[in-house]
Amino acid sequence: MHEPLRPIQKPTLDASLFSMRRVFYRYPDDIQALSCIDLDIAGGDRIALVGQNGSGKTTLIKQLCGLLLPTAGEVLYKGEQLKGEHLDRNRLEIGLLFQDPDDQLFSHTLLDDTAFGPRHQGLSRQDAEQTARKSLQRVNLLDMAYKAPHNLSFGQKKRAALAGLLAMQPNVLLLDEPTSNLDPHQEEVFLNLLRDFSGTLICISHNLIFLYELCDRAVVLDRGRIQHDYTLRELVSQRQSLREHGLDFSFRLVHTASSCDLAQSKPLDELHRTPTLPDVSEGKSLVFLRDYHYRYPDGTLALHGINLSIQDGERISIVGENGAGKTTLLSCLLGLRQGLGEFHFAGRLMTRRWRKTLWRRVGMVFQDCADQLFCPSVREEITFGLHQLGYSRDESRKRLTQVLAMVCLEGFEERVPLHLSGGERKRLALACVLAMEPKLLILDEPTAGLDPQGEELLLDILCNLDVTLLLVSHDMFFVNKLTRRTLVMHRGRILEDMPTHAFLQDERLGNLNELSYTYRRRSRSAILTMQHEHEHSHLHQHLHTHQHRHGEVEHDHFHEHVHEHTHRFAHIHPEDEKNHDHMPRRYHDHDHPGYEVEDHDHDYPGHENETDDHH
Amino acid sequence: MADVINIQMPLWQLLLLLLIPLAAITIMVVWLRRVAYKHSAPEEKRDWSVPPLADGSGTSLLHCWDVRCKIVTILVCSFAIASLSHLEPALVAIGVSLIILVVARVSFAKVLLRLLAITGFVCMFLVVMPFSVPAHNGDTVLVFNGMDWLGFNLRGLRLAATIAAKAIAIAVLMEPLLSTAPLPVTLHGLSRLGAPEMVGQMVLLSYRYLHVFRHEAWRMSSGMQVRGFRKRTDLATLRAVGNFIGMLFVRSFERTERVFDAMRARGYRGRFPEPAELRLRTRDLLLAAVWLTAGAALIAYDRIAW
Repeated sequence: MHEPLRPIQKPTLDASLFSMRRVFYRYPDDIQALSCIDLDIAGGDRIALVGQNGSGKTTLIKQLCGLLLPTAGEVLYKGEQLKGEHLDRNRLEIGLLFQDPDDQLFSHTLLDDTAFGPRHQGLSRQDAEQTARKSLQRVNLLDMAYKAPHNLSFGQKKRAALAGLLAMQPNVLLLDEPTSNLDPHQEEVFLNLLRDFSGTLICISHNLIFLYELCDRAVVLDRGRIQHDYTLRELVSQRQSLREHGLDFSFRLVHTASSCDLAQSKPLDELHRTPTLPDVSEGKSLVFLRDYHYRYPDGTLALHGINLSIQDGERISIVGENGAGKTTLLSCLLGLRQGLGEFHFAGRLMTRRWRKTLWRRVGMVFQDCADQLFCPSVREEITFGLHQLGYSRDESRKRLTQVLAMVCLEGFEERVPLHLSGGERKRLALACVLAMEPKLLILDEPTAGLDPQGEELLLDILCNLDVTLLLVSHDMFFVNKLTRRTLVMHRGRILEDMPTHAFLQDERLGNLNELSYTYRRRSRSAILTMQHEHEHSHLHQHLHTHQHRHGEVEHDHFHEHVHEHTHRFAHIHPEDEKNHDHMPRRYHDHDHPGYEVEDHDHDYPGHENETDDHH
Repeated sequence: MADVINIQMPLWQLLLLLLIPLAAITIMVVWLRRVAYKHSAPEEKRDWSVPPLADGSGTSLLHCWDVRCKIVTILVCSFAIASLSHLEPALVAIGVSLIILVVARVSFAKVLLRLLAITGFVCMFLVVMPFSVPAHNGDTVLVFNGMDWLGFNLRGLRLAATIAAKAIAIAVLMEPLLSTAPLPVTLHGLSRLGAPEMVGQMVLLSYRYLHVFRHEAWRMSSGMQVRGFRKRTDLATLRAVGNFIGMLFVRSFERTERVFDAMRARGYRGRFPEPAELRLRTRDLLLAAVWLTAGAALIAYDRIAW
């Protein structure tokens, strides 16, 4: 019985920077994206806009910057409706950071791109260039001012896109998934940049730990409606509420030994601590690389002296900063690229001829699953690989049913992949690969862009797979849960090869590898403190319905009454006090078993003179 | 008027005639490709905090030339070269283009890459035209082993060489045109000369997103390859390729909408900011006049001397 739409100290209409009044928005294809949105945002607010994939978050921020106009209702900015001349005048005060930085970096060089906004604000070419330089300096990209955006790394592109907005000195920053696909180091850089921003900030993200560090107010969207509007501390501390909206990321916070059944994995003592030269003569290795190099046609050395042995049934993760060579290594393992050095698969030397048959035994789920979904229906998508393998129609149909059940997509056969949600598409991509029964399954950033519910479901599926697994991820939770051995890559080399639990405890590696997990650890322990759950007994105010008699009349209706009973709930301990007051400070949802038969007092205002017999 | 001169030759000489030049061209192309890649590789070592043209090479006569004059002059000269009808003036044109290349101090590796791109087209002319040009009176035709239908017309070879020389001269001229000013400035100059501004914007955006599109296509094609797709001559391949192109189109269309949104969100209302202030000076006009005179002289040499 959590309280819907319970606002924190809302700004008054006069103090509001933005006011959304009964806003509805329907897309031209008749999808109702927003319904009855009432929201006030004051200057200086730092709001986390959260919700499942498809809940209307991006549509809402596009309303706030005037890219979409409501089909009904109104959006006010500084007291005036955000349209027409008022929109043209004020649009440049509102910066919107897109999820994919390539959408936003449309100019020839970084400097041109960063100066684009200031030029449209009326600055002269010289002044705009000066502002752009300062902005690039802030995001640490001044030394790349004349570089073309397509020659930047993903993290650099993200920062460059932010620089383009900061150069406009906006009052409001709207951020759509600012940390997606960033490594922890880049994520922290981004966090520090945004902390320094003094204006109003509205951020969409599934990364609640990042939001916890950055924002103080949370607006929860569910199917186009605002379900909650309260402090972020309240959001992260209410597991039940998070779960209801598919946002419960708490499963990430509890650090236990890997929960997956890793019985098939090799014991830890067989694993290496440092990369040693693997021995192919044993014939045990599924994958074996010795002194493997890869150089791109432009001369960039992407892999340098890789020695790696993966045994059948092992579950291995590869971690490393963006640009460390992880994806290039995967391309080589898939046979898409051929480097120099020895590469054996299942004991066979991968010559040019054999390399072309690797697809039969190695499957990969790409970081952006849109890259591997191109068919008009889920059925065709999954049977595509099976046809290449020579499966008959009947066998394909049988396999299709099996893998759809495996990834919880039963009944999706005729759906269009393009119209599925992010989590469904990811599971479909996984199904396409699993249908081909690969000996080695490679997952490249499987959690990118997924909401917590999608992540939890994917984790369950992956835990139950019986396959040799190679996971590339910045997500230490998934690394911990799914793998027992970790390879640390840096600048094209494997720096360390060690048990995952040892890697997770090794602070030194984080610094060495330009990965930083410090703030994540700090936030995680803070949230855990808030979310701790134990039994309490205190008075409750309840609404129940049950049959009872008022004199001659027997009927049922809601009664509000107060009584005391014990229950479990997650809550904040003020200042670490153990003996704290558990009087309800807020509504929380919990079971009240046996309320139908429990004696209770019905004397409450409005019913003082009634004598009730309840059944 | 002299008749066609037929010179009878043994068949093996035809093989030599074809194979030796083809082998020489192939070796040269491979070597040029290596040289070009070797010299265009170290992009990372460049100092990107200064404009690419701000190093020593950016102070040449062509870098300082007003972009409008440069476009008009080089295009007019290109048309003049295209109108040449004899081999010797075309070779002189190559010489002039190379001199301009040296004066402009542009990257020789880039010029090589540009020339490599037209190699196939030029070779096709060199191979096909000697065998396909109709024999006129006065032509010399090599006939192999009495096969009259396979005559190797030396006038055809000369004609093909003239076309090749003109193509090379013009391709070499394009580098000073495109590399001595940033692309946005060149397109701005083009729009100031009367080309629709929207066309310039579209070229600029296409150039920027060509790389993104290429990368996207590569990733999608990899996604197909790792699921066993190989191009064959069957309906399944056609369907798969159709799906691939369709999906690429859908993704590009969606990106176009997002890019347009991003541009609007940063104040775009139909016009890009001017990338540079253009000023026409007397010396720009003088340089254009000198260059155009050289072009006219080349035409005169072609028409009068030959």
